[in-house]
Amino acid sequence: MSDETKNESQPKPPQEQPHAPADAAPAEAKPAESRPPAPRPPEGRPRGESRGGEGRGAEGRGPREGGREGGKRGRRGFFRKKKVCRFCVDRVDYIDYKKPEQLMTFIQERGKIVPRRITGTCSRHQRWLAEAIKRARNIALMPFGGAR
Amino acid sequence: MEERLYDLIFICRPATPEEEIDRIIGTLEKAVTERGGKVEKKEKWGARKMAYRVMRHREGYYVLLVVRAAQSDTVHELERRLKVNDAVIKYMTVRLDEAMKRQKRLQQRRERKAARRPRAPRAGHPHPGAEQPAAAAPQQQ
Repeated sequence: MSDETKNESQPKPPQEQPHAPADAAPAEAKPAESRPPAPRPPEGRPRGESRGGEGRGAEGRGPREGGREGGKRGRRGFFRKKKVCRFCVDRVDYIDYKKPEQLMTFIQERGKIVPRRITGTCSRHQRWLAEAIKRARNIALMPFGGAR
Repeated sequence: MEERLYDLIFICRPATPEEEIDRIIGTLEKAVTERGGKVEKKEKWGARKMAYRVMRHREGYYVLLVVRAAQSDTVHELERRLKVNDAVIKYMTVRLDEAMKRQKRLQQRRERKAARRPRAPRAGHPHPGAEQPAAAAPQQQ
């Protein structure tokens, strides 16, 4: 129960995130956006429904929402935007722990690191990001728990 | 031993006078140079709010040193000095050279890719998808 409320309250900041890179680099975002809806829904969605959406890690939150909406509006009634790793778009080679302002967008209110299924960060950058956040926490640049 | 690069970052009590902080930096720098190393960067961020309380302080005076250490005991000695000092409430040393190496490697790889792409676009890829990243790459670098 608490999980569900959490999931519904969280998406707000991360949902904005995919938009930002899309604006920054329309070249990369466009092909990705136009590709998924065509092949996926017919086959991928029913599977996602029966398994509770856990099969697709990258879109953990998506299938549920889509399923609900899709139920109302028919089989292809929803549309999901493909998330792009922000760091890949900006071609980041090193995530600096000394810039907490940048890292702050990747933690939740209570200081948790936002999972990559929500932000769309690629695994390599998520790893670097986690490392940077943990270093920043160590030296009191970022909170361990909620900001007090 | 090859040289290693470190970030040394420490926090002093906000009430510490400026001269005292300069003195601490001076002793640390001396300890580094004595061991054949070099302090590449000294940055005083000044007093800033900490994300949580440390030794009942909400603010701290941040100082960052980038140290190139030639000997293995350099960091040990620096940390010992910081530990002993009463004005210092928190410190952290991070090894940087591995990350820098990685960064350089990635950058080189990207440059190579960018140089290669326009001559031989991969077959089977949709045209805009293959061409646009290559066009975007030079702007970013």
